[in-house]
Amino acid sequence: MNKILTSLNTFALILLFLSFVFSVFSITTLKVDETQSIKVNFYELIEIAEQPKRLSGTKPKESIQEADLNKVEENSEVKKSLDFEKYKLNKPDIKRELSKIKLSKEREVILKISAIIQDKISSVWIKPNSLSKVLAAKVLINLAPSGEVINFEMVEPSNDKVFDESVLIAINKISFFEEVLGLDRKLFESNFRNFKLVFKSSGEIE
Amino acid sequence: MKRSLIILIFLSSNIFSLLEIEIIKGSDNLSKVAFVPFGIEENVNENYGEQISTLIEKNMLLFGEFENLDKAEMLSFPDSEEDFYYRDWKIMGVDYSVIGKINSVNALGNLNISYSLFNINRRIKILEGEIVGRENNIEGIAKIISNRIYEKITGLKGIFDTKLAYIVNSDAETYQMCISDIDGKNEQILFTSAAPIMSPDWSPDRKKIAYVSFENGLAEIFIQDLASGERESIQALGMTNSAPVWSPDGKSLALVVSFSGNPDIFSYSINNKRLVRLTNHYGIDTEPSWSPDSKKIIFTSDRSGSPQLYEINTQSKRKKRLTRDGNYNARGRYFPDGKSIFFVHGNDGNFQIATKKLSSRFIETLTSTSLDESPTISPNGNIIIYATKDGSKGYLGGITLDGKSRFSLPVKNGSVREPAWSPLFN
Repeated sequence: MNKILTSLNTFALILLFLSFVFSVFSITTLKVDETQSIKVNFYELIEIAEQPKRLSGTKPKESIQEADLNKVEENSEVKKSLDFEKYKLNKPDIKRELSKIKLSKEREVILKISAIIQDKISSVWIKPNSLSKVLAAKVLINLAPSGEVINFEMVEPSNDKVFDESVLIAINKISFFEEVLGLDRKLFESNFRNFKLVFKSSGEIE
Repeated sequence: MKRSLIILIFLSSNIFSLLEIEIIKGSDNLSKVAFVPFGIEENVNENYGEQISTLIEKNMLLFGEFENLDKAEMLSFPDSEEDFYYRDWKIMGVDYSVIGKINSVNALGNLNISYSLFNINRRIKILEGEIVGRENNIEGIAKIISNRIYEKITGLKGIFDTKLAYIVNSDAETYQMCISDIDGKNEQILFTSAAPIMSPDWSPDRKKIAYVSFENGLAEIFIQDLASGERESIQALGMTNSAPVWSPDGKSLALVVSFSGNPDIFSYSINNKRLVRLTNHYGIDTEPSWSPDSKKIIFTSDRSGSPQLYEINTQSKRKKRLTRDGNYNARGRYFPDGKSIFFVHGNDGNFQIATKKLSSRFIETLTSTSLDESPTISPNGNIIIYATKDGSKGYLGGITLDGKSRFSLPVKNGSVREPAWSPLFN
C-alpha cells in the first residue's frame, strides 16, 4: 500500500515538475512573441530595412545594437534563415506604417477643408423652426477642381418641405468652394469631387 | 467571377464612403425680405399701393423674425411678374420679394388685390394670390396677405390676426382686463375693478375670456363673453377658485380650488357644471394648463419641498414629475405640439423663461432679464411673450424661440401683467 502511495507520489511529483517545465517554456516562447510584436518600433524597422545583411539577432530589440549584431553574425545558418523570415514578415508593416502617416496627413487636410466648408454653409443656412421634429436632409455636391459647384442634388430629403427648402436656399447662395483650389489632385478627386452635406435639426430648441 | 465580384464590392464600398459633412448650426442672420410698393390701376386711390405694402411690412417685422430692404435701396418697383428681375434683388442680398397690384375698386368699395412672393436664391415664384376686400378694411386685408406670406416662408401658421389679453394696473386701485390686436392696436377694456384681476385665459373659439377677480373679496372665476360683455361667475363650491385654463377642446376648465387653505387641481366641466378633483395632496398644487390633446394637465406643486412641474393624466390620474433642475420651476405650459414645455425657472433670485423638451433631461433658459413671469406662446409655437419688470413698472417682453430676436411691446399707462395669447381663428 505504502509502495503504491509513494509511487503515486513520485508520479505526481514528476507530473508537477513536467508541467512546471512546460509552463516555463511556454511562457518564454510567448514572451518572445510578444516582445517581437510589441517592441517592434517603426523607426527601428527602417534601420533594419537599411541594413538587411546585418539583421540576424534573436530579438529585434537587440538587433539595433551594433556589437550584438556583429556577435550574432557568426551564428548558425539556421538561425539566419529564421530571422530573415521575420524580416520579411516585417516589410508590409513598414508599408502600412508609411501609408498610415500619409493617410493621417491627408486626413488632416480633409478635416480642415471640411471644417471650412461646414462654417461656410452654416453662415448662410437660415435654419427654420422645426419645432420638436428631428430632421436630416442629405445633399450631394459635385465640384469642379476650380471649386465651382457644378451640380447639387438633394439625395435624401427630410419629410419637411420648409426644412428642405431652407437647405436648397443655403446651397444656392454658394457657387464656389475656393477652399479646394490648392488641393492635391488625387485628394480632390477622391474626396471633394463628390461629397455630401448632411443638414440636421436635432429637435432641440436652439 | 470571384475576382469581378470582389472588384464590384470594392467599387460599391467606395461609392458609399463619400465624404459627408454635417451641418447642424444655422446662421445668426435673418431672411431679408423686400416689400415692394404695390402698383395701382388708374381708378384706384394712389395711396393704397404704398399703404398696403407698408402694412404687410410692419406685420412681418413685428417680432423681429425678418429683415427688410429699405425702399430707398430698391433698384426697381415691379408690380407684375413680367417686370420682375431676380438679379435686381440678388444684388441687394434679398432672400424674398413681395410684389402686388391693386387691380380695381368696384362701386361697393371692394378692392381686388393680387400679390406674389418670389424666392430670389432659388429663382422661383413660390406664392401667388388674389384677395377681395373692402376699402375700409385695408388693415385686415394686409393681415391676411401677411399670414400667407409668413406661412409660405416659415412653414408655420401666420399669427398676425391673433390677439393678446392682459391686465393693466395703472394705480393701486385700478385694474383693467384688456384685449388688443397682437400689434397693440384696437385695445378694448373688458372690465375695470378696484380689486385685483388675474390669470386671463382665452376660450379656444376666441369668444370668451376666463379670469380671476377679487371684486367680492375673495378669488372668484368669471367667464366673460367678448361680444355681449356679459360676465358669469363659476364660483364652484363657495371657496376660493383661481387659475382657470380652458381645455383645447373647449369642454372644461382646469382650475385651482382651495379647501381650507389647501389648493388642489380640479377639472370643471362647462356644460354640466361638474367639478372633478385631480390632485389631493397637502402640498400646494397650482397653475394648471392643458396639453394640446386635452388629455394631460401640467401643474406646479411644492410636494417635493420646492416648486416643481408635474404632469397628470386626467383619465388615469397618473402623475409624473417633469422638472428636477434647480429649486424653482413653475407656471408650466405645453408647446402647441405637446412635445416640449416652457416655464419660469428660478436661479439665485433670477426668474427667467426656460424651455425643456419632454424627452430630454436638459432645460434651456431663453430670456436674459431677471424677473420674468407669465410666459405665453404664439399659437404657431415660434414666439413667447412674457411679463417682466423695469424697476417697479411691469411691461411685456418677447423672444423668438431661436433666440435671434428679442423685443418689447409698446409701453402702456401703468404696469402690464399676465399676457395671454389668443388661439388662431379656426
